[in-house]
Amino acid sequence: MKPLLDAHGVSRRFGYRKIFNDISLSLGRGEVLALVGPNGAGKTTLLRVLAGLLKPTTGTVERHGTVGLVAHHSMGYDALTARENLAFAARLWGISDGDRIDHLLEQIGLAKWGEMRSANFSRGMTQRLAIARALIHDPDILLLDEPLNSLDEPGTQVVLDVIEELAGRDRALAVVTHQFERMASVATSVGYLVGGTLVGPEPVDGRAAEAVSQKYRSLLASA
Amino acid sequence: MRDYTRAVWAIIAKDATVEWRTKTAFLSAMVFAILVLSILFFARDPTAVSALDIAPGALWVTFTFAAMVGLNRAFLLERENNAMEGLLLTPVPRTAIFVGKMGGNLLFVALVELVSVPLFVLFYNVSLTERLPELMLVTAMATLAFVSVGTLLSAMVVRTRFAELMLPVLLLPFLIPPVVGAVQVTARILAGRPLSEMMGWLKLLAAFDIAFVVLSVLLFEATLDE
Repeated sequence: MKPLLDAHGVSRRFGYRKIFNDISLSLGRGEVLALVGPNGAGKTTLLRVLAGLLKPTTGTVERHGTVGLVAHHSMGYDALTARENLAFAARLWGISDGDRIDHLLEQIGLAKWGEMRSANFSRGMTQRLAIARALIHDPDILLLDEPLNSLDEPGTQVVLDVIEELAGRDRALAVVTHQFERMASVATSVGYLVGGTLVGPEPVDGRAAEAVSQKYRSLLASA
Repeated sequence: MRDYTRAVWAIIAKDATVEWRTKTAFLSAMVFAILVLSILFFARDPTAVSALDIAPGALWVTFTFAAMVGLNRAFLLERENNAMEGLLLTPVPRTAIFVGKMGGNLLFVALVELVSVPLFVLFYNVSLTERLPELMLVTAMATLAFVSVGTLLSAMVVRTRFAELMLPVLLLPFLIPPVVGAVQVTARILAGRPLSEMMGWLKLLAAFDIAFVVLSVLLFEATLDE
């Protein structure tokens, strides 16, 4: 089956600084790729390239479907309420279904705060809103950059449930994370971005989180 | 086409809602307008210079610099929380984003002008009742010219460290031709001259409008490149 996201020989530089080199990966339906790597390894940059926000210096990225991105910033407007932020995103995506916004607010646990301006949100609530915003058009490909940041335990569970539900509906997901042990239950493959190269992706079915951590540590030591 | 229009309206409505809630740019622009109109009025020697002589210049200095406040804010709003990336991820054409932002700026500047004109009439004791349509025409034409190029430059400088300083430096040279034209036409309107005397300037303003709007729309996409 044709993958939803296909990257071939992708590299990215900022000026003379090489961020990563010759990365190839594909994301099929129902796949959840966990991307791990140390700070500054280029995980966020890779996600932005995959999303189409940055052009790769070399290589190609093919997307066969709509893309949603949960980035470090909420991409929303502080002066608008949660509902208004979602309604604005919905209008840009051409979605007129008002029930979709109610459903998302309910799904991510913000139903009670839908009419509150996002300037008054805690970081965890802002993160939940960013996730809802990325889901507004029910994307085929969802890219998440450290989605569990700032989330409490119920919030973490909500995100894991969302990931599982999307994978169950044949969406393709890539998740940048520093907390693989939290993602182990939903990830189907793992890629290690170390020293500007991607090791993997390799399947994680049945593998304990500890095995992934061990491999990650050994890659870091040899980098 | 309907999707394009819907996206444009969504962006205008969003910008208007944000400004309505915060009122930061509008209040700053209005305080600035009152200051400029009053300072220029009281700075002249009434025995040597009549209020009518400086009125056109005072009006356009007020409009231009008060508008700058709004133009400065236009894309800073999209920088907040990286909202611009949220726009770029949608299927909305880049030109629709520009037209939407320009529409929001036009609305802002029109509102500032609407509130400034009564103050202008009050300070400079000019009668606009008979020539209001002509004044509205020249105001609309000059405003469109400097808002279009201002929106483009606002998008261009927003990623620089000193965006709020850079915008006036880059924008002011572009403003000179349309604002000079607007001042010339306004002076003739206030002096009660016939419309036929102003046709040359109005044609020039129309040419600036076409050139600035078309170039700004075409060049906007380049400002989004890394």
